[in-house]
Amino acid sequence: MSELTVQDARSIIEGQIETLKKRNKEPEWMTKLRYKAMDAFFEAPHNDPIIKDPLDYIAKAEEEMYPEVKSLDELPPEMLALLDRLGIAEVEKKYIAGLAVQSDTSIVLNDFLKDWRKKGLIVESMEDAVRNYPILKDLFLKQFNPYESKLAAYHTAVWNGGIFLHVAQGLKVPMPLHLFFLIQNSAMAQAPHIIIHAEPNSEIHLIEGCTSPVLVRHSLHLDMTEAYIGEGADVKLSVLQNWPEYVHTRPMTRARIGKDAEFINTTVSLGPGKSNIANPKYWVDEGGYAELNGIILGQKDFYVDLGGEMNLDAPGARGLNASKSVIMDKSSVITRGIIRANAPKTKGHISCDALILNPEARMETYPGLISQVDDAELSHEAAIGKIREEELFYLMSRGLKEEEATQLIVKGFVNPLLKDIPLEFVVEIRKIIEMAVSGGM
Amino acid sequence: MLQIKNLEVEVENKKIINSLNLSVGKGEFHMIMGPNGSGKSTLALTLMGHPNYKITNGKIEFDGRVINDIPVDERARMGIFLAFQHPEDIEGVKIIDYLRLLLEKVKSIEPAKALQIIPSKAREVWFSADMLSRYINVGFSGGERKRFEILQALLIKPKLLILDEPDSGVDIDSLSLISHKIRELYEQGTSILLITHYGRILEHVDPKIVRVHIMKDGHIVMSGKEELVEKIEKEGFKKVFEECGCNE
Ligand SMILES: Nc1ncnc2c1ncn2[C@@H]1O[C@H](COP(=O)(O)OP(=O)(O)O)[C@@H](O)[C@H]1O
Ligand SMILES: [Mg+2]
Repeated sequence: MSELTVQDARSIIEGQIETLKKRNKEPEWMTKLRYKAMDAFFEAPHNDPIIKDPLDYIAKAEEEMYPEVKSLDELPPEMLALLDRLGIAEVEKKYIAGLAVQSDTSIVLNDFLKDWRKKGLIVESMEDAVRNYPILKDLFLKQFNPYESKLAAYHTAVWNGGIFLHVAQGLKVPMPLHLFFLIQNSAMAQAPHIIIHAEPNSEIHLIEGCTSPVLVRHSLHLDMTEAYIGEGADVKLSVLQNWPEYVHTRPMTRARIGKDAEFINTTVSLGPGKSNIANPKYWVDEGGYAELNGIILGQKDFYVDLGGEMNLDAPGARGLNASKSVIMDKSSVITRGIIRANAPKTKGHISCDALILNPEARMETYPGLISQVDDAELSHEAAIGKIREEELFYLMSRGLKEEEATQLIVKGFVNPLLKDIPLEFVVEIRKIIEMAVSGGM
Repeated sequence: MLQIKNLEVEVENKKIINSLNLSVGKGEFHMIMGPNGSGKSTLALTLMGHPNYKITNGKIEFDGRVINDIPVDERARMGIFLAFQHPEDIEGVKIIDYLRLLLEKVKSIEPAKALQIIPSKAREVWFSADMLSRYINVGFSGGERKRFEILQALLIKPKLLILDEPDSGVDIDSLSLISHKIRELYEQGTSILLITHYGRILEHVDPKIVRVHIMKDGHIVMSGKEELVEKIEKEGFKKVFEECGCNE
């Protein structure tokens, strides 16, 4: 139990809302929404197996206006070091393209993004966007309800940071846009809110990276993403997580995928954090396609619970939920994808593969296929196992050491799901996998 | 180079090989023939150090060192190479990434250099650049599998090359190429221990250099020269075993 009483909590959250409202010079509708969410916080259900009491993680928003950082050169050295840790410094040299870095609540944009703005690509910190774009009133928190859970309510009351990404009708952005979150403040629940608004026939690939310096203790990362994928649009969202072992993450993602649109959402959890519980939801319209790919590297005593609900709501909608987990040490990974066929001629597939490297590691999978119609095609497959002795022997018989052969097999195991990740990241991801495998042996 | 003395091997508590003696000197070419189930693959896997094959008696010496208890990867680095009868599929691992790692770790060839060597060697066994980005053995035809084993041997240039039926399940053109490449390795000084059912694999090899051993029930029952191959191909194992009184 938390030390705080409900009264204390209410006044702390209220104080935070007031601070955020002042700091961000928020429009009234936003402040109202925050207060509504605060009420919801005390009523909403809470059933997180790890975060027993969200009050323990109450955020302390900063009083002062966030610092103006105009270019990457102005970032403090420790932040640059963090970018290195995700392999960003290298990538940035290559893609002078879109890189936006968010340090708690401030955002760094480069010249490239300023140019693209003229063509209809908006990347703006959510605080600024809420002030500048009235359309946000129709997009913000339209896919969530604060009464559905305490964490959703809490996020809504005190959200800070995040971005608004808007891609104008027909605009095709040829290179991936990188966005990085770095948790800087200790004892703070970072709650960025992300809205992706892809207008009809637009195309974009957003790569989100998350990490944090080693100083933060008991942090809770509560991000919320709402994606609106317009008719015929094509959006890829790749999330790379490399959290330190004490960060709890509760990503909340929802997406509406329009007619003939495509949304490919890949999450690579290299360091999923102490615990990582997610249950993204997608609604797919006629002829649309949603893909949820997850790569999970379970280490130490991490707890990962990856859900995923796909609703195939109109004829021809398709969905794929594919995960590959590498489970080491004493970690536990649970996957529970659900696909609902709510209309005829829909097609859904769940596949769950896991490689268990330690007898104390644990994997559970619960695929759910629900069909409301006759002519839907739903299927699932699961393969959970250890590295086959024969494949290890094959590689070792050519002179590779057990560790080298294991690393190669593990990298190969996750490889098929890395198809949309730029090579520079894949190189970094492989290095992190190698280190994790060696550490686990 | 290789000396097998009084070897006895068990698999799952079943004795498969017993009192087997064989010695392969440097630069020699040996061939083992024998009916299915006579223990040829068991011998090959035991020489490589497969953990399921337990040596219960006797010893294997390589370059003057008893290797009975030496793990597989170390045997490989000592210079023993086994081209498998059934090479494994390794899902997700691209040939090019694997071969580059192999050259780096086993032959100390730096990656940039490896990237020059690999494609040109690969072309010699008809592996195109496309083929190199496929996963190891996944979806390979019989000929591709066996040619890929040969490619690895060509890159590693082992001291002792053991080939377990490099000619089974391959098309006629692959067979000729493989025969050619075995000779090439032999001429570079690699000792050969070739397990086969057919003399055809010797197409490009001078038959006079070959020493032939016949295996039956985990034991070498007969050794000789090229005439033995012809005899077996003409008369079959059954008849040959009857004649020599090898059946008791
Ligand atoms: N892993 C194994 N488990 C059980 N029995 C085996 C195994 N490997 C080989 N054997 C048995 O050993 C005998 C010899 O097999 P093998 O060495 O494959 O013969 P060959 O290669 O000459 O056809 C056969 O009876 C076979 O069933
Ligand atoms: Mg055999």
